[in-house]
Amino acid sequence: MARLTYVEAIVAAIAAEMRRDPRVFLLGQDIGPLGGVMRGARGLWEEFGDARVLDTPISESAMVGAAVGAALMGKRPIVEISFGEFLPLAMSQLVLQAANIHYMTAGAASVPMVVRTRIGDGPYRGHPQCYEAWLAHVPGLKAVLPATPYDARGLMTAAIRDPNPVIVFEHMQLYHLLRDEVPDEDYEVPIGQAVVAREGRDATVVATGWMVHRALAAADALTAEGMSVEVVDLRSLAPLDIPTVVASVRKTSRLVIAHESWKVGGIGAEVSASIAEEAVDALDAPIVRVGAPHAPVPSARSLRDLFLPDEESIRKAVRKVAEF
Amino acid sequence: MGAVNSPEVTRTRPALTPADLLELYRLMALCRTLESACAELNPRWFPAEGEEATIVGSCYGLRPDDVVAPHYRGPFIIYLMRGADLARLFGQALGKSIGYARGRAVPFTGPVKVGVTPWVAGDLGTSLSVALGVALSFWYDRQMRRSPHSPPLDGTHPADERAVVCTFGDGTANRGDFHEALNMAALWKLPIVYVCQNNRYAISLESRKYLPVATVADRAAGYGIPGATVDGNDILAVHDAVQAAVARARRGEGPSLIDAQTYRLRGHWAEDAADYRPEAEAASWRERDPLPRFERRLVEIGAAAADNLVRLREQVAAEVDAALDRARQAPDAGPADLGLDEVLAWRG
Repeated sequence: MARLTYVEAIVAAIAAEMRRDPRVFLLGQDIGPLGGVMRGARGLWEEFGDARVLDTPISESAMVGAAVGAALMGKRPIVEISFGEFLPLAMSQLVLQAANIHYMTAGAASVPMVVRTRIGDGPYRGHPQCYEAWLAHVPGLKAVLPATPYDARGLMTAAIRDPNPVIVFEHMQLYHLLRDEVPDEDYEVPIGQAVVAREGRDATVVATGWMVHRALAAADALTAEGMSVEVVDLRSLAPLDIPTVVASVRKTSRLVIAHESWKVGGIGAEVSASIAEEAVDALDAPIVRVGAPHAPVPSARSLRDLFLPDEESIRKAVRKVAEF
Repeated sequence: MGAVNSPEVTRTRPALTPADLLELYRLMALCRTLESACAELNPRWFPAEGEEATIVGSCYGLRPDDVVAPHYRGPFIIYLMRGADLARLFGQALGKSIGYARGRAVPFTGPVKVGVTPWVAGDLGTSLSVALGVALSFWYDRQMRRSPHSPPLDGTHPADERAVVCTFGDGTANRGDFHEALNMAALWKLPIVYVCQNNRYAISLESRKYLPVATVADRAAGYGIPGATVDGNDILAVHDAVQAAVARARRGEGPSLIDAQTYRLRGHWAEDAADYRPEAEAASWRERDPLPRFERRLVEIGAAAADNLVRLREQVAAEVDAALDRARQAPDAGPADLGLDEVLAWRG
């Protein structure tokens, strides 16, 4: 066991897989001597050298395309798109090429590759876009968004070993925020499994990424008001683990969904629709979604704080479903 | 045309035997016949008549373990040259169950197992970067055996010196992936040859309206790599230039860019009348049709008698007819081909 930060856990997962499997290599910007954006590749170049840790030009489309081509040849490339804000630059390669190949070749080819990218509000406020729902919409891709160092290592390991293209969304606010016990030995967190992060009886809050932590804080605070709140961390956005959410809603009968990205068309819309289809009979109150307003993400700290869902907006939403 | 503007890409022509010359002719004739057949089968086929010298010349003489990332116009002959089955390709064009993609992918995709990259969508330019990744994989295999940092691969790695040939259109040369891929290939000296199958038109638009340079090969200088312009209707010139560039790639000296200047004798799609082109221009290119041109040359140099070539064309026609029959009789792609359980690969 070691006490690792979220980013240290991710780098540990990558390093362990690179030691284990010579097919694994890294492509990205500033991942060499600099050690990666926000220390996201620290120590990898020193250990694995130029051939396996490739600093690339600013060419997101060709970077992802190159990963697709290398994966077709049996390699296990990890391509780092410095920020999720730049994913649109590689969208054709992701949604038309990587996502389609296995199906369109009638299973003759597969594309075992990882795209890792940083999203959300962070300590420096830059590049805050959260486009994860776009990718979750497309068949043929997997997408994960860990909320803890333990899950970060386990999901990254599972992503590298997966025979499909997997997008690992790494939340910048969590990067250096907290330390967690992370096993030294090999383990995976299965892709497509949500987890109950906190048990409760009166309401369920389904959350992703940073909002898992705000939901947990809100749940703690609501104890004082006599409420027992369950928090479900989705962890994977594609495939989405609806059964875990259904089970929780059948227990609590009330559902709030909280994510940092826009409420409109966000992953919460899919969760909400799925619960309406599969468990509307279990609900004692309408579902409430908490997400960013439908506006571009502002830059100044003061505006950003007004803009993003916070602990209080989650508390309010829980009170609303509880009091219905 | 015919001028080669970089001495580095003009080394000695690989020795082609009389048998090679006849095979080149047979492949061009087969390409012509099967393209006409596909255009009849599918009104939205993108016929390649007129471009056979560039297509066949670029991919002839490659090793089985090389990889080709073909342009969407005329890829079937490339798949055949690499070992695909013609009836299954026709089935592919018809959306039949026997097609390699079982009706799932665009008609012009091919079987990855013969060493080609698949067409899985209709967007252009992405194939240049995917081909880059294949070359990166070949490069990586070499580096792994040299690197003191890394364990060697497990012995199943491919032989040294594998190369990639990526063909693409003059319209595609304006996609951002062209720049990103060529730049990266040049930086890392990847073993890849980019061949522009330049037919002077991007659907209805004449190249002077979207290419500010006389030849796409002029752009090679921007990446510090050799560029060559060849007569794309002269199969020996194309083959010569591409093989020289492939040899360079195999030596680890990096990528090359070749502009093979040809002409689309038909419209962009099978039913396109192509009346946006001046008739005089089309007529002048019909005069330069690569097939009769190569035929005359073979007879001139004594490589074949005219009646030999007639016999070859008859054989090709019979081969195409037989494959067409098989494809037509095959069932349409059905529920068993929909494959909703093959969207994601399962972990083995």
